[in-house]
Amino acid sequence: MKGCIFNIDGGYLEGLCRGFKCGILKQSDYLNLVQCETLEDLKLHLQGTDYGTFLANEPSPLAVSTIDDKLREKLVIEFQHLRNHSVEPLSTFLDFITYSYMIDNIILLITGTLHQRPISELIPKCHPLGSFEQMEAIHVAATPAELYNAVLVDTPLAPFFVDCISEQDLDEMNIEIIRNTLYKAYLEAFYEFCKQIGGTTADVMCEILAFEADRRAIIITINSFGTELSKDDRAKLYPRCGKLNPDGLAALARADDYEQVKAVAEYYAEYSALFEGAGSNVGDKTLEDKFFEHEVSLNVHAFLQQFHFGVFYSYLKLKEQECRNIVWISECVAQKHRAKIDNYIPIF
Amino acid sequence: MTLCQLFLQSEAAYACVSELGELGLVQFRDLNPDVNAFQRKFVNEVRRCDEMERKLRYLEKEIKRDGIPMLEIPGECPEAPQPREMIDLEATFEKLENELREVNQNAEALKRNYLELTELKHILRKTQVFFDEHEGGANTTESMTRALISDDPNKHMGHVQLGFRDKQESLEFLPCFVAGVILRERIPAFERMLWRACRGNVFLRQAEIDSPLEDPSSSDQVYKSVFIIFFQGDQLKTRVKKICEGFRATLYPCPEAPADRREMAMGVMTRIEDLNTVLGQTQDHRHRVLVAAAKNIKNWFVKVRKIKAIYHTLNLFNLDVTQKCLIAECWVPALDMETIQLALRRGTERSGSSVPPILNRMETAEEPPTYNRNNKFTSAFQHLIYAYGVATYREVNPAPYTIITFPFLFAVMFGDLGHGALIAIFGFWMCYKEKPLQAKKIDSEIWNIFFGGRYIILLMGLFSMYTGLIYNDIFSKSLNIFGSSWRSNYRNDTLADNKLLQLNPDSEDYLQYPYPFGIDPVWQLAESNKIIFMNAYKMKISIIIGVFHMLFGVCMSLWNHIYFKRRISIYVEFIPQIVFLTLLFFYMVLLMFIKWTSYGPTPGKLGSDDPDVIRTSAYCAPSILITFINMMLFKTDPNTRPQCDDVMYAGQMGLQKMFVVVALLCVPIMLFGKPYFIMREQKQQARSQPLGAGPEGAEGAQAENGAAAGAPAEAPHGAHSHEEISEVFIHQAIHTIEYVLGSVSHTASYLRLWALSLAHAQLAEVAWNMLLRKGLMSMGFQGGIFLYVVFAGWAAISVSILVLMEGLSAFLHTLRLHWVEFQSKFYAGEGYLFQPFSFEVILDSAGQAEE
Repeated sequence: MKGCIFNIDGGYLEGLCRGFKCGILKQSDYLNLVQCETLEDLKLHLQGTDYGTFLANEPSPLAVSTIDDKLREKLVIEFQHLRNHSVEPLSTFLDFITYSYMIDNIILLITGTLHQRPISELIPKCHPLGSFEQMEAIHVAATPAELYNAVLVDTPLAPFFVDCISEQDLDEMNIEIIRNTLYKAYLEAFYEFCKQIGGTTADVMCEILAFEADRRAIIITINSFGTELSKDDRAKLYPRCGKLNPDGLAALARADDYEQVKAVAEYYAEYSALFEGAGSNVGDKTLEDKFFEHEVSLNVHAFLQQFHFGVFYSYLKLKEQECRNIVWISECVAQKHRAKIDNYIPIF
Repeated sequence: MTLCQLFLQSEAAYACVSELGELGLVQFRDLNPDVNAFQRKFVNEVRRCDEMERKLRYLEKEIKRDGIPMLEIPGECPEAPQPREMIDLEATFEKLENELREVNQNAEALKRNYLELTELKHILRKTQVFFDEHEGGANTTESMTRALISDDPNKHMGHVQLGFRDKQESLEFLPCFVAGVILRERIPAFERMLWRACRGNVFLRQAEIDSPLEDPSSSDQVYKSVFIIFFQGDQLKTRVKKICEGFRATLYPCPEAPADRREMAMGVMTRIEDLNTVLGQTQDHRHRVLVAAAKNIKNWFVKVRKIKAIYHTLNLFNLDVTQKCLIAECWVPALDMETIQLALRRGTERSGSSVPPILNRMETAEEPPTYNRNNKFTSAFQHLIYAYGVATYREVNPAPYTIITFPFLFAVMFGDLGHGALIAIFGFWMCYKEKPLQAKKIDSEIWNIFFGGRYIILLMGLFSMYTGLIYNDIFSKSLNIFGSSWRSNYRNDTLADNKLLQLNPDSEDYLQYPYPFGIDPVWQLAESNKIIFMNAYKMKISIIIGVFHMLFGVCMSLWNHIYFKRRISIYVEFIPQIVFLTLLFFYMVLLMFIKWTSYGPTPGKLGSDDPDVIRTSAYCAPSILITFINMMLFKTDPNTRPQCDDVMYAGQMGLQKMFVVVALLCVPIMLFGKPYFIMREQKQQARSQPLGAGPEGAEGAQAENGAAAGAPAEAPHGAHSHEEISEVFIHQAIHTIEYVLGSVSHTASYLRLWALSLAHAQLAEVAWNMLLRKGLMSMGFQGGIFLYVVFAGWAAISVSILVLMEGLSAFLHTLRLHWVEFQSKFYAGEGYLFQPFSFEVILDSAGQAEE
């Protein structure tokens, strides 16, 4: 029944999104891109794909940052178009997606101000999807409480921030904790929201978000080794909507080194496979890349089902991965460092 | 169409390809499909062209922004420039772009300066109001906020920040403030943020700037507001400043003393005036540069696009091992070889190369592209055909016949002199004004569809006028040009008393000769049986036209079979098909003519009992439909009326039975004939091959069954051929079923000619009776006004519904009759289009993409 009425509000946008998805570069495109000698070649090849003339008005010589900006600009325009045409509950769903970029932006700005960078230098580095009105005035705040009271209380992030107010001051460690607390709250809220939508959306999105949560938990654990973060504090940062919850998270909280994390992951089929293939040797893929690969495959699977919102999320994530890939390849091309050029993550 | 190999000397290649591009008769094949776009030989040149195009686009954008008209290219299109000219062009563009960018930069800086000054001017003006207000208001009525400002700092806050107060002691009111300008839409958030961040210890006043200001970087018009913030203390000051920065508000110094402010305002005004003159000069300079560029920009665009197209084409070529010459493969119309040779020679001369290019014909097994030469008249019809499918190479092209049959079938459905005339006038106007309209380049899609089909529309209109005359139908009324052949011999009182009266054709009422052209206008008066009469006539006409149209289609397949040397197909496909159609459906058409000629009233014998008279009277005329059905069922009509014959002519029953049997016998021939022959040939091949009959035998057989779709080029093996045969069987079965069932359904399908014609006539009549007639019947002065109004309604309905909608529907039905009923008899449409390398096409598509 839900499928029948889905198309009334979401049909056009889903169709649009699937159309956009068809423009995602294929393996053959990557094979061609990898062969490029210069960025001009890259531009020429991208002209033949769905990107069309997105670089046509850029004077040469091209810089990687220009390519990156333009790629992002195109993605943002597409996403904004979807967002502007959406109605409830899809619009809230799409807003939820942008919250993660907001969190990143806030953290970026706070860290920047902490290092005495002028705000005008930081603003262009923010992701346009996560920009909000009060963003640029963020350096007014000196403590988390102030940050909340002055800046964030009007933004949709306010409910996520409630847990962080207790922190004393903004130093590097605390910023990291704030970021992860925010993320935890955000992921859990998003998870709840998708569940509440129900239907296929819940099926698809909960799977993806659960993975996202687990990935964060694992990465937090691994990164926390050798820092002053206590195990209790660490456990507080784990998002509790993943598959690791509750036993896996409890085990992670006790972990002391990489091997123990790996042992925890052993109990979960999909994660043990990721740890299996990862390694720090030359030629091996890093754990991060393995996670990205898994994320890509999850997102690609989202397109197998119809009448749900997951496609929008997945499209954005896939496209982001594609941007990362193109930027990686262009960096390799620009720096003539071809040895690692194949380390991109193919999507289709 | 032949495949040719073209050897071009490297130096001459550019000029030769340019000549060929002007000619537009050669389709080049990509000889390096495996090579990436960026690994081809002339990729650098293509890139340079891209760069030039980018510069031109930048120029164009700037020109458009200033609203300078761009000159169309006068007369001839410029030729593709020589490669060395390319460098000049590049230099020119580079210079122009740099100049323009510099001017723009200057202008932007100036504008920014100007903006700042204007903002300052506004601030000074508005803050003046705030201060004045405050001074005046502080003593008299005090609002809540003002109470906060003037009381708080002095009484409560003042104690906390004593040191600060000392400094400002002399000032009666607010100790410290900043003034600035902010985008109007950011005000609410700004205000809220200030309140929160400073815990309510600041006071903000704002006033809107009424006139929009120009944003120098994007040159958009934006609305802004002036604000002034009063606060106390340094800490708050940094905080406020940070927030202002965060909201991209621009802060300006604003003196506290009114005299200072006035002085500053004066200074600002003079500086603004100075700036205005400088800005004007900059703009003038920019304008001059752009006007100069606007004169040539279209010309440059054409040149650059031509160069780019040439290099793209050169990228398709193969490089000779010695790097001395380029090798191209191309499809060339066989008749145009001479012209192409000439063009190549011209190209060689232009480039000054001594070695002539070589154009070799190549043998190929590949299917060549289809190329039908068209002029502006036939191309519209050709496109109707191509919309269904591009003809297989060398297949009969139905387009020439469509030129007549298409408007004709349309007209049968749309038969109305008046509406037809409207269409014809519209079509004629488009054809007459062809050149100016074409030059206008109107962007509307609907208009382009109409304009593209202007000749079709003109012909449809003319043919509709013709059929309208035959139907004697003009806006649902009739014309009595030659005088009706019918007279009423009733007395006047009889006419007055009776609603319906009969006119008998075998009495004095009929002049015994028919109305010379078309339907007698007397039928317009026959309210009770006009439709019955017209239906019988139009239905029969539809079937007759349909059967002839289909027979014509089947005959066309004969030309295809002969051309492709499919002898078997002629015997087991074409002949049974034509026999089937003739014996059943053409016979039905014949019956109609027999009925028309042999039944009818005998003059002067009204009410006669003579059996001969009765037998040929309308009373005894059989129904063709019933006769035809009975013929198929092998039975005689049991319901014949007394005194009438069972048959229309002697020996009818026997002949009909024979026809049906022969026609039915054709079905198995169509079904099994071709597979049988193909199977036999394959067996012969299999037998002859071990004997060493060799390739000749196989080839000969291949030529025979060339029609067998998908027959492999090599002699097939046993198991393989078996599969092949079953496929042939299925294919043939589908074909036969389609044809046999199709004959019935297609014949019935032509009845749409009648149905649409009827619908059109009835709709026209309704429009007349319901609207215009009412208007015409109203009397007096008011009647005139009423008629005026009603005519507008009638005319609107006539044009929108009867001409446009009905016309569209009739058009679509005609299209269907051609695509399905006519072309399915012979047209495979499995070819692909000849797309020559032509500058014209490339420039056109580039122009369209731009718009």
